Amino acid sequence: MKKSYVIKRILYSIFVFGIVMTLNFFIPRIGVEDPAERYYPPQGNMSDIEYEIIKQVTRQQYGFDVSTWQQYLNYLTGLMEGNLGTSFRSGSPAVTDLIVDRLPWTLVLSVSTLLIGLIAGILFGVIAAMKRGRWQDTTLLNASTIMVALPGFFIALILSFYLGFEFEIFPAYTDPNMVSNFDWSLSAIQTVAENAALPVLSMAVGSIIGYAQGTRNAVIAVTNEDFILTAKAKGLKQNTIRYKHTLRNSMLPIVTSLGMSISGLIGGQVVIEQIFNWNGMGTLFLEANNMNDYPLMMGIMLLLSGFTILAILITDLIYVLLDPRVTVGDKR
Amino acid sequence: MDKVLKLRNLKVVFPSGHGIIRAVEGVDLDIHQGESVALVGESGCGKSVTSQSVMKLIESPPAMTRVDTIEFLGNDIKDYSAKQMQDIRGKDISMIFQDAMTSLNPVMTCGKQIDEMYIRHQGVSKKEAREYTIEALKLVGVPEPRSRAKNFPHELSGGMRQRVLLAMAFACMPKLIIADEPTTALDVTIQAQVLNLLRSMQKRHEMSLLLVTHDLSVVSNLADTVYVMYSGKIVEKAPVKALFQAPHHPYTVGLLASVPKLSDTEKTFSQIPGTVPHPMKKPSGCYFHPRCKFATDKCKNTMPPLTTLSENREVRCYYPLNLKKEATA
Ligand SMILES: Nc1ncnc2c1ncn2[C@@H]1O[C@H](COP(=O)(O)OP(=O)(O)OP(=O)(O)O)[C@@H](O)[C@H]1O
Ligand SMILES: [Mg+2]
Repeated sequence: MKKSYVIKRILYSIFVFGIVMTLNFFIPRIGVEDPAERYYPPQGNMSDIEYEIIKQVTRQQYGFDVSTWQQYLNYLTGLMEGNLGTSFRSGSPAVTDLIVDRLPWTLVLSVSTLLIGLIAGILFGVIAAMKRGRWQDTTLLNASTIMVALPGFFIALILSFYLGFEFEIFPAYTDPNMVSNFDWSLSAIQTVAENAALPVLSMAVGSIIGYAQGTRNAVIAVTNEDFILTAKAKGLKQNTIRYKHTLRNSMLPIVTSLGMSISGLIGGQVVIEQIFNWNGMGTLFLEANNMNDYPLMMGIMLLLSGFTILAILITDLIYVLLDPRVTVGDKR
Repeated sequence: MDKVLKLRNLKVVFPSGHGIIRAVEGVDLDIHQGESVALVGESGCGKSVTSQSVMKLIESPPAMTRVDTIEFLGNDIKDYSAKQMQDIRGKDISMIFQDAMTSLNPVMTCGKQIDEMYIRHQGVSKKEAREYTIEALKLVGVPEPRSRAKNFPHELSGGMRQRVLLAMAFACMPKLIIADEPTTALDVTIQAQVLNLLRSMQKRHEMSLLLVTHDLSVVSNLADTVYVMYSGKIVEKAPVKALFQAPHHPYTVGLLASVPKLSDTEKTFSQIPGTVPHPMKKPSGCYFHPRCKFATDKCKNTMPPLTTLSENREVRCYYPLNLKKEATA
């Protein structure tokens, strides 16, 4: 029963990704007279005839010279081969290559943020729930209230100002040579860690508080469940109840929210990378945006949607491991 | 008969922002070995709070509990530490709750939840515990216990789940079983099966039973002694036969009248007029007087004491009913 659910879930994710791929292709073409228009260079002082030729060449170069249906097929076969098209940048680099260069640097930030956010958040949440109403709990409540009003980039600016400029504990700007000098040596890894400290911290503060508040509420909700009273009536020791009964049930809503919060993380990271001058996908996206580099922008969007779908799939599969009820279709 | 439980003057209040909820107001309870005692009353009268207080399961805060004596098997456990109570719970006193669906951990197999009892109280290995669990499931009539033990609660029927709770409660052969409305969530035929099972297990193993229910109709063949509770106080205590033959308290009379009898040709369903007083706005005098057609000024002004009328019969009323009937009975 579980197996069939997993297979169904995977197929569903592939289906959703198929829709995203299709939308990614068609949306820029809806209601536009000439879909290649964005791809033409400016006319400048070319004569109309000359410009017509340039347009012709551009259409050919970016594959607009065939029927829309054929374009769609070409786009799909390209995707299968990992080909996301060519960028407008000089030298016409492949979009895939540009992305592959930046992706690991982005993942360094997102994965560390996620891990730190989860581990510290759950820990603080459990503590707050155990010390309900005492200073640990009220501190968390106040922090959450402040966080709601505080945009992520504002935290980044504060951290960058104090920890970066004032006290110079961590670099406020990423070392521009960090990427080119990276050689897996211990010192190179250390440099990355130092440079990643502020961007990761800026993003993690929000996640930690978010997960802590979620965990705290979930733990308290589970503590009021009937089966916890049963566990007490059985004479189980406090730690057995806490770890075997309360905590595992409390993790369910956290896992559910994980998939969604990952997509939020991706969005927030664009700004953070910019503030700290971090050469990741976020910066790449803004560069593409500034240069009207449509193929690159679309490639990044597609990849990010893919990541989001994957994240939701993985969290759903973790959920199945934790909650046996899912297989009967009543995920709470 | 040896006394298993002696509870004296239990008081439990819940302070809240709007006032104080006096859930239990000075309840005495005696349970002897092998005896089955029913605690009966309408919803909200304090049955669950009373029964959970016996195991000291009522958390304070929010609750504030005062009690003169909780004597269990001759030991006063009133001042037992949390650790000492953990050793007693499940092993010497165990509890069966109303809704097996919510009373079982949804993400743990039923077997594991019973295993925990043996691992905790008998110090056996996981493997041995499972063998005991399978025996216990067999005893409460669960077919194919070995594979049922691997099921999660949601995979079993309501009746089977309740049997799992029963197996769990009987696991360590406790001296006292507290069953808090153990069958309310089940349909009638299964209700009877589970209750009969509970009664026969209790009798066979000479255990004592505290059966909490709002349904007097199940009490007649399940209990030896009945305590009727109203708004946090015991209003009548009697052996079950005597209570059914000659209920003394007007509230008990009302409760009995609202039990549908098989002999009733027309389906008259008499109800006690009025409603249970709000726990924060209890009336003066006898709490039942606003609903009582026999109430006098005395009832309105002073709370009647719980008076012993004859051996084993106590009633909290100035004008007890059916006194003659008992004499003839
Ligand atoms: N945790 C709590 N906080 C505040 N009030 C409570 C709490 N638990 C119980 N009470 C109050 O105590 C009173 C008695 O509750 P109790 O659960 O014992 O009733 P009951 O007789 O078991 O009713 P039911 O038949 O509905 O189970 C009720 O008025 C209830 O509102
Ligand atoms: Mg109750």
